[in-house]
Amino acid sequence: MSDTQQRIRQQQRVTELCAGMVRAVSGEGNLHFRGPRLHRGQEPLPWFAPHLHPSADSDDFGSFRGVADGLGLRLARSNAALHATLTPEDPTERFIFEMLEQFRVEALAPDAMPGMTRNLRHRHIQWSLDFHHSGMTDTARGLLIYAVAQICRARVTGQQVVEETEDMLEATRFGLSPLIGHALAGLRRDRADQTAYAAHARDIAHTVAGLLADAGDEGDAERNGKQADARRALFSLLADMDAEVGEAFTAAQAGRSQLLDSASGAYRIFTTAYDSVHDAATLARKEVLASHRERIDRRIADQGVNVARLARQLRALLSEPARDGWDGGQEDGHIDGRRLAQLVASPTERRLFRQERQSSVADCAVTFLIDCSGSMKAHAESVAMVVDVFARALEQAGVTSEVLGYTTGAWNGGRARREWQRAGRPSHPGRLNERCHIVFKGAETPWRRARQAMGALLKADLFREGIDGEAVEWACARLLAREESRKLLLVVSDGSPMDSATELANDAHYLEHHLRDVVARHEQGGRVQIGGIGVGLDLSPYYRCSQIVDIADSTGNTVFAELTGLIARLRR
Amino acid sequence: MTDITASTPDRLLSVRELFGIDSDLRVPAFAERSEHVPDIDSVYRFQPDVTLAILAGFMRDRRVMVQGLHGTGKSTHIEQIAARLNWPCVRVNLDGHISRLDLVGKDAVVLRDGQQVTEFQEGIVPWALQRPVALIFDEYDAGRPDVMFVIQRILERDGQFTLMDQNRVLRPHAFFRLFATANTVGLGNLNGLYHGAQRLNHAQIDRWNIVASLDYLAAAEELAIVQARVPALADEAGTKLVRSMVAVADLTRKGFAAGDLSTLMSPRTVITWAENVEIFKDVALAFRLSFVNKCDEAERPLVAEYFQRCFDLELKESHRLAVS
Repeated sequence: MSDTQQRIRQQQRVTELCAGMVRAVSGEGNLHFRGPRLHRGQEPLPWFAPHLHPSADSDDFGSFRGVADGLGLRLARSNAALHATLTPEDPTERFIFEMLEQFRVEALAPDAMPGMTRNLRHRHIQWSLDFHHSGMTDTARGLLIYAVAQICRARVTGQQVVEETEDMLEATRFGLSPLIGHALAGLRRDRADQTAYAAHARDIAHTVAGLLADAGDEGDAERNGKQADARRALFSLLADMDAEVGEAFTAAQAGRSQLLDSASGAYRIFTTAYDSVHDAATLARKEVLASHRERIDRRIADQGVNVARLARQLRALLSEPARDGWDGGQEDGHIDGRRLAQLVASPTERRLFRQERQSSVADCAVTFLIDCSGSMKAHAESVAMVVDVFARALEQAGVTSEVLGYTTGAWNGGRARREWQRAGRPSHPGRLNERCHIVFKGAETPWRRARQAMGALLKADLFREGIDGEAVEWACARLLAREESRKLLLVVSDGSPMDSATELANDAHYLEHHLRDVVARHEQGGRVQIGGIGVGLDLSPYYRCSQIVDIADSTGNTVFAELTGLIARLRR
Repeated sequence: MTDITASTPDRLLSVRELFGIDSDLRVPAFAERSEHVPDIDSVYRFQPDVTLAILAGFMRDRRVMVQGLHGTGKSTHIEQIAARLNWPCVRVNLDGHISRLDLVGKDAVVLRDGQQVTEFQEGIVPWALQRPVALIFDEYDAGRPDVMFVIQRILERDGQFTLMDQNRVLRPHAFFRLFATANTVGLGNLNGLYHGAQRLNHAQIDRWNIVASLDYLAAAEELAIVQARVPALADEAGTKLVRSMVAVADLTRKGFAAGDLSTLMSPRTVITWAENVEIFKDVALAFRLSFVNKCDEAERPLVAEYFQRCFDLELKESHRLAVS
């Protein structure tokens, strides 16, 4: 496994642990990370404070722990509605006010949790040193913000300021104390009372914002290269907050389509005339399919995977005990009326009872939806191997499975785009390509009969562009028509939806946004559980539950263990 | 066995003195301890709301069901109240194989004057019904719903009980009381925690006059309970330790509610852990033996995180150790 992938996987594990911790500390069940951002359900949470945004590259695990604890405490101990009414208007004041509120909740870490206090402190030190070493403390404004953060946190939590920079703070601290000394004393005293604390915090924020404005004027005189850089960094810190602190996500939010937003999410399709659903077995000649199938079989043999074991694991994961008739001829249990005559005939015969039989029944349907866009061509053989093995194991475990795929019928929009051009290029045409859905293995088809059709996955000219949202919708609709009580959809993909014609005719994130909407709707509906299998890519922006796999050069059971892990997580 | 049929409660005791609950209620109690009165556990701590609900059952002849997660001490709660009132108390553990005959009674072959004769033997329900006894159905939701209809009539306060095998109608004793404990509220095994729990008939649930819910306790209460059980941890260092242990338990409960864990720590687990700390003198080892090893392997790193928060120590299962 490559280093990058190893790192991504580590990071995913850390994120999962952190999310679990935030949920446990805050007591809210529907919190999770999408990318670096904490979400409640589908809503991203506010930005909170500058030190709650660690970077995966430079910060250690201890820092992530501290951030998780800080977020959990913030949600548990700070009333968001009250906070919103108390927050000042001015962006700079708001920045400082947010930071102070975060310090307040961190000071409220319970005594029974010394580890949490240590993690918070660790994160604070690391953030402080990062801030200091990035040169931001070289400017007057930077130093002022830094000093306020240090002094206030030390006061509220009753801990020392960061030792390394203590001397540097002296002058600023001396200058500040007559201005905010009174409010500072209040911070510690009223830390358990959000409203009273906020009054002091607003005082401080107001005073400091005034000082910052003055410091900015002086700074203009001595402009040199390094300081300008630092000032820019500082500015971006404030701008970060500004963009995100309010929950207004209109234009700047990456990955959203303005067109879809303005049409309140109404996804359009220009024409469905050229859309098609194919049976995979009809996509290639028999001989071709057979030779492709041979390649898959060779790959499976090389992989050395234990299908029987996988089937057992899946059975354990997906089945539930159910009553299943009676076992007769038992020595104890309920009397079996049909055997009473036997008692008369041979009184010594004791096996007159029957017992209820329990068996595990997998009342579950699993669908694999494979992204057949161009970039997946390189992974086709591995994906075919994994999906084929899973289909076989699921069948052994008594679980219904489907294997579906999606691509487009042409590059660059094909006939749909030509029709659009003929119609005079109306604006916002919606999806503009020939959607192509493929059924490799239907739910009713046994694996044995679908074997040849799986070979079609290796057909190179299949792989074109990908319209994920509609494909997920289609797969969900197929699942919902099934009568099994549990329905799992696993989407195998290596990237975001891509269709150049649609993106050009609409706007950049049109398909991405739609995919996110579709997945969110089904996740919320709760009838289908959706998991993303990212082929070397983190799919967490789209799917709430996802797993990165390194499919290409892994041998043995690793990739299967990861996927059963994903299914186990979906089960909850 | 002395016959208790004739005995009645003959004095009134103050709830405030007996259970330390701020209430002016006075409850009837028996003067003498008879064979079926449970032993008093002097360190048992009563939860005010649930205690009042159960006392209402004793005083006013209400049918009380106590519902709560495992290890919260539902049955013990009723028993300890009965113990202090000297009220005879019989616990019946229900399971899927308890049949109507077990509850009502059946014809059995007995020896009389050297002769084998068939005679009707009363089951536990008619027996208890005629005596001043508190009958507790434990794990009420494990009983098969069709069988539980046997007690449908006696759930009503003046309900008489017809023994069809004998053409007899039993009138309940004036001081017969009925209680039940259950993990679920009759909705079956929703979260996968209580395998074997049945869905109950709602016409029957409806007949229970009072449903008291015994949730996990406030941290301070739980601290006191653990220290009462394990007196060695009652000093100052012990208090600090037990508070962190209770904090871990609280995190696992919230983690369970959020769906991150499939097991949780009941107060019983915390007490076991505290006892194991005494044996092994090592809080991390005792934690592993009393809880971590019960968890699914995939969930252990998260449990290790909980532990780190509360003790500032790394468990072997911790992600940090796995990385380095």
